[in-house]
Amino acid sequence: MPGATLIHINNRQPLRATGDSLAVRAILISATLAFFFLFLLFPLVVVFQEAFSKGGAAFLETFRDPYTRHSILLTLFIAAISVPLNTVFGIAAAWCVTRYKFRGRSFLITLIDLPLWVSPVIAGLLYVLVFGAQGWFGSWLREHELRIIFAIPGMVLATIFVTFPFVARGLIPLMQAQGMKEEEAALTLGANGWQILWRITLPKIKWGLLYGIILCNARAMGEFGAVSVVSGHIRGKTNTMPLHIEILYNEYQFASAFAVASVLGLLAIITLILKTRAEWRAEQELRASSLSTAP
Amino acid sequence: MSIAIQNITKRFGLHPALRDVTLDIREGELIALLGPSGSGKTTLLRVIAGLDFADARDGRIFFQSRDVTDLSAYQRKAGFVFQHYALFNHMNVYENIAFSFRVLARSKRPPESAIRERVSELLRAVQLESYEKRLPTQLSGGQRQRVAFARALANRPEVLLLDEPFGALDAKVRKDLRRWLREFHDLTRLTTIFVTHDQDEAFEVADRVVLIDKGTIQQSGTPAEVRSNPANPFVAGFLGLAETSVARIPI
Repeated sequence: MPGATLIHINNRQPLRATGDSLAVRAILISATLAFFFLFLLFPLVVVFQEAFSKGGAAFLETFRDPYTRHSILLTLFIAAISVPLNTVFGIAAAWCVTRYKFRGRSFLITLIDLPLWVSPVIAGLLYVLVFGAQGWFGSWLREHELRIIFAIPGMVLATIFVTFPFVARGLIPLMQAQGMKEEEAALTLGANGWQILWRITLPKIKWGLLYGIILCNARAMGEFGAVSVVSGHIRGKTNTMPLHIEILYNEYQFASAFAVASVLGLLAIITLILKTRAEWRAEQELRASSLSTAP
Repeated sequence: MSIAIQNITKRFGLHPALRDVTLDIREGELIALLGPSGSGKTTLLRVIAGLDFADARDGRIFFQSRDVTDLSAYQRKAGFVFQHYALFNHMNVYENIAFSFRVLARSKRPPESAIRERVSELLRAVQLESYEKRLPTQLSGGQRQRVAFARALANRPEVLLLDEPFGALDAKVRKDLRRWLREFHDLTRLTTIFVTHDQDEAFEVADRVVLIDKGTIQQSGTPAEVRSNPANPFVAGFLGLAETSVARIPI
């Protein structure tokens, strides 16, 4: 009974400020839902279905392969370095642009977003140009027997570059909206900068911070382009999960490829749940702080 | 504690917020900085607290005989109350008031029993006993501002600075808190400066009213002096008084 559904929707929103007719809304809602199922949910289901296409035993067999295991460990290792670093960078950057007024401040805010609008492949190539054998520091690195490109340090650098904006972008609007009166109050009560950060600012922003960290982590583990350029695809050495999936797929090991992909898919679902929860809490906190400034 | 403000100038970009302000505040005075919005009165208060800094080389600020011009707010430790309370929403009332003890170095921090005693004493003074477990978001505006007063007073500051402390409250609560402040000051004689744009508030509460406009002090005197003898057309106009000299200005 489509008619009943429409009336139901209408009843739940008695104020139709936009004045869209029922038909327009029905079309928009069904188009959105159709898009969601076809392009987002359906592929995710296929990943899991393909992963188990040769049965549970074959699925588990994939994870006994040492190369697969190594790729999972490497992915975790790279995320474990880049996420904490970007958390610190992100807090510092957000603090800097929301707490101080200085020339070039809005330019800095734009610059924080740079990794989002540069293609990750370009980012990877930039690192090759700088640190590669033919690059600016190439000969110096060779003399000191340091390997950055086609080795783990380069992959960590590329991941840090690509995931840099997430924490800062999560924090800047929140910190701008919250203002800094509490920090000033703490200052007049004798707290130094460090005490203000730990006792006032971090508790104020914790949910926004968690939101940024979750997104940063998801991107760090799923990053393909930039890491692919600097990794060199050495099996058991410089292959992360996304790179390993590509190799398996190219070698027609579809079930294995999808099995590893399903781990990333699972990560995405967990991320989504955590993210929604953090977002919700951040909103609650913001509402509480804006209520507290009302008379 | 007496405060001496000498030749303070402060610009925000090209806009001068304070121009060569000099003001002496005696120990135990209750002073109102009165002026329209944008007059520079809040900036002056923040410069005294150390939350803003005057432009270099121009002026000095003394607390008693101590030059505090280059000291940060956390070294000056002036009690400061904000218009919108600025309570720490993630801490309960007790922890808000105890905050100035929590941030002390361990060697200087009083024992918890002494902190507890001080917090209870303050909660009694602001008539909020039995509220210590509440979170700020569970309090009314007037209650929040009283917690903010208690928090500012906790570590016995020698000067109390209030930035439009009643501005966010409704009329009834504002009247009560005004009276409370006057009585509190009569009791403690704590040197107090408060900023307001409300002349009734300034004249009712303060020992001395300092009128500020365009970053300069227009007049300073007791409420009676200012009322009976406005120094210039701005003061007369702002107070809504008929001033004879205005009529004498040639057109």
